[in-house]
Amino acid sequence: MRLLQQILFIFFAALLLEFFLPWWSIAIAGFCGGIFLHSGKNFLSGFIAISALWLGYILWINSESLAPLADIVAAVFNVNKTILISLTTLIGGLGGGLAALTGSYLRQPKKKNLYY
Amino acid sequence: MRIVPFLASLIITLIFFGLLSSSHPIGGNRIPPLGKFLDPFHGFWQNIETHQGVDAKEISLAGLQKRVTIYHDSLLIPHIFADTDADLYLAQGYVTAMHRLWQMEFQTHAAAGRISEIVGAGKDNAVLNYDRSQRRLGMVYAAQKALEGMMSSSTSKLAVEQYTDGVNQYLKSLSYKDFPFEYKLLDYEPETWTTLKCALLLRSMAQTLNMGDKDIEMTNALTLFGRDAVDLLYPDREKVGEPIVSKPGQWKFDPVVVTSKPLALPDELIKIQQKIPGSDPTTGSNNWAVHGSKTETGSPMLSSDPHLSLSLPSIWFAIQLHTNEVNVMGASLPGAPHVIIGFTDSVAWAVTNAQRDLVDWYKIEFKDAAKNKYLLDGNWVDSKKVTETFALRDGEPYIDTVIYTHWGPVVYDDNFQATDNLKHYAFRWIAHDVSNESQTFYELNRAKNYTDYMKALNHYSGPAQNFAFASVQGDVAMRVQGKFPVRRKQEGKFVLDGTLTTNGWQAFIPNEHNVMEKNPLRGFVSSANQYPADSTYPYYIHASTYEAYRNRRINDVLGKNPRVSIQDVMKLHSDNFNLKAAESLPYFLQSIESISALNNDERKAIEILRTWNYFNEIESEGASYYEAWWDALVPLLWDELRKENTSLSYPTAFHTIFLLKNYPDLSWFDNQATPEKENAQLIVLQAFRESVKQIAKWKEDKKQSKVSWADYKGSYIGHLLRIQALNIPVRHGGNHDIVNAHSRTHGPSWRMVTSLEKTKVKTWATYPGGQSGNPGSPYYDRFLERWTQGRYFELDFMHTLSEETKTKSITFTPLLP
Repeated sequence: MRLLQQILFIFFAALLLEFFLPWWSIAIAGFCGGIFLHSGKNFLSGFIAISALWLGYILWINSESLAPLADIVAAVFNVNKTILISLTTLIGGLGGGLAALTGSYLRQPKKKNLYY
Repeated sequence: MRIVPFLASLIITLIFFGLLSSSHPIGGNRIPPLGKFLDPFHGFWQNIETHQGVDAKEISLAGLQKRVTIYHDSLLIPHIFADTDADLYLAQGYVTAMHRLWQMEFQTHAAAGRISEIVGAGKDNAVLNYDRSQRRLGMVYAAQKALEGMMSSSTSKLAVEQYTDGVNQYLKSLSYKDFPFEYKLLDYEPETWTTLKCALLLRSMAQTLNMGDKDIEMTNALTLFGRDAVDLLYPDREKVGEPIVSKPGQWKFDPVVVTSKPLALPDELIKIQQKIPGSDPTTGSNNWAVHGSKTETGSPMLSSDPHLSLSLPSIWFAIQLHTNEVNVMGASLPGAPHVIIGFTDSVAWAVTNAQRDLVDWYKIEFKDAAKNKYLLDGNWVDSKKVTETFALRDGEPYIDTVIYTHWGPVVYDDNFQATDNLKHYAFRWIAHDVSNESQTFYELNRAKNYTDYMKALNHYSGPAQNFAFASVQGDVAMRVQGKFPVRRKQEGKFVLDGTLTTNGWQAFIPNEHNVMEKNPLRGFVSSANQYPADSTYPYYIHASTYEAYRNRRINDVLGKNPRVSIQDVMKLHSDNFNLKAAESLPYFLQSIESISALNNDERKAIEILRTWNYFNEIESEGASYYEAWWDALVPLLWDELRKENTSLSYPTAFHTIFLLKNYPDLSWFDNQATPEKENAQLIVLQAFRESVKQIAKWKEDKKQSKVSWADYKGSYIGHLLRIQALNIPVRHGGNHDIVNAHSRTHGPSWRMVTSLEKTKVKTWATYPGGQSGNPGSPYYDRFLERWTQGRYFELDFMHTLSEETKTKSITFTPLLP
């Protein structure tokens, strides 16, 4: 449950921030998600949130696209469009995951407090 | 809180975001900043358009006087309706930048020799050397002179300043997310637009069209082979076809005569590692205007068909400009105000290049190695040294020094493309003089009749063009307009002695002495880069090449047709008849007739060529065999004219065929690589065998059983960045020397047919690309398919905007202070 909350938080925070800030705003979203909604799997949740956000948006753009620019860019990189989309998703995921992980280390581990 | 894992994780995260936020040159290519570039919210994905057209919206612009409405039609052609000139050009700048910003800037960077700022020095310094050649040709200097000209008239000044303001207001509204695709790919940002950039663009067009000079090549030929050989291989005037204007004995004026003594012929070899590439000699343009007495509608008709190196984003941008004083539509150059080729509600005009020699090279004698002084009329005169800095993308700035003389910049010296035995040549170019072509376009855009057209052209210096004209009043006209030096015989053909000012251009041909005609008896005017006037024209005319084939075909087709229709004009644009083949192939085939030892491939090729109808159609195999034969023949024939470090030029195609037919035993035809002594016939056979082998190899490589002309030609529209994945291949007929002049990379860039009917001016147009400069837009290559099919779009020439149209338009409103 905690994991799902964390994923949703990062997902929507990134969605909001991306409208005002450059691409690295996903790091802020991941970082905050790591601090405030700590779960056991911080990297995974950051990864899933951002890769889902990016992949979802790309798939929408791709379905509405009126020109084959994605194919052209893939050809510039000497790959096909599926690989280009996977690469994009992976980069978003890694960025979100790393940021969430970093944020999570800033939190005081709760367990110790319980026993005092 | 766990400090150590936190710091470790933080550092990894920062490195990750840092690396993916910047671009990295790897192995000659630049990898874009992957995170930034691939982010679907800001990166290139945002350049993929997901809906048609342009959204209606209101935009506030500073300095605007009244409301301006811009309606984009279904072809994405903007129709700008403004109240004042100032608002009109502000809007033109803004709207053009909306669609073509990257191209505008890249082309002006290319003109100014600044590409290495964007992509680095390139492999083997190729990009840096290109940039250096632009600076050494004095392109920025030429643009400054053009700008000086533009600023000299209040109307052209207003237009260029407002246009610039418009571009910059658009620029300011952008963030990374909105940048054109190419900025993201190459990871750089647009810079502020300037009036100088508008001027650079015009001078860049002059460079494209003026650099066909062969002074250095001719001088080398003279030194190596002697006067007789030069006269034999490169005659001043080939006996072919009709000139643009033929009115023998009717040039009724007293020509300006330059009385100084005739120039001495040079006697030296000019060694340069690699000459800066000049204009492609096989390119050119067609235009014509047919008088109402010869058209189906009874109204005059004008045809425009300029040929250029085809590129994406497209060279031209179609636009309509409207105020109470002006209503004009046609092709504009992205980055410069006005319509360059187009029509008003009363007239239409079109241009082809006039070819005339407007470039000379003068030998400079420096006093010593410091090159601070050079000899001029017996005195040592100070040279002017200009420091050129190249801010390379990766690395330290590169500094070059260019020396300017009385004549112009010294292009080649010990720092640039030099060999041993160095001599210095200064470059004299008409575009280094002050001129105001913008004023011509300002006035043409407002022209109502023949008189207005003639007045507008009086401002026009260069690049010299053949201006075809037609009006609703029923006039058709042609005028070869430019600023032409009065030349002594042979002047401009060879390099000149730069120690005497009398060797320079002493006078210019007055505008009223230029070659022109109005409503000629034959019922039409036409030009296709051929010789401008009959032999009684009182001035010496020189150019390195004049066209020999397209002009005859056009005149032949138009001449025979008593009732030319719109469709006839469109059909003629796409005419694939290969006159060169019709005049040479029977001779070639006859030359190899007696050969019995032919292999299977060769016999088959002969069969295909014999039955070929001389049309370079898409599927034609005969065209492939003929063109391959020709391409193999020329270097074999003229093997003597290829020497390392010594520029030489081949004779023209027409003259080559003339010599083959009339002087088959010329010693020039001997292939020096073989011990035998070849004559024309043997060389033609050698070339044939080689070309058949080449086609066999092509078929094997491409796994094709048939060699269709379109596939063999392999045309493509190349993106300005020359990245192969961005090029678009096209299957199309035609070739150079054919009316449908589409070679592998060059061809018809703006086809327009205008019917000037009294009730309405109607225009159809097409071009190889589309209105949008964004490869992620459906309008990027929207016209391409129709262009290859020879089909057109009827342009929506509007007189008013309905209320309903206004609701679909962009509105500019004055920004309140």
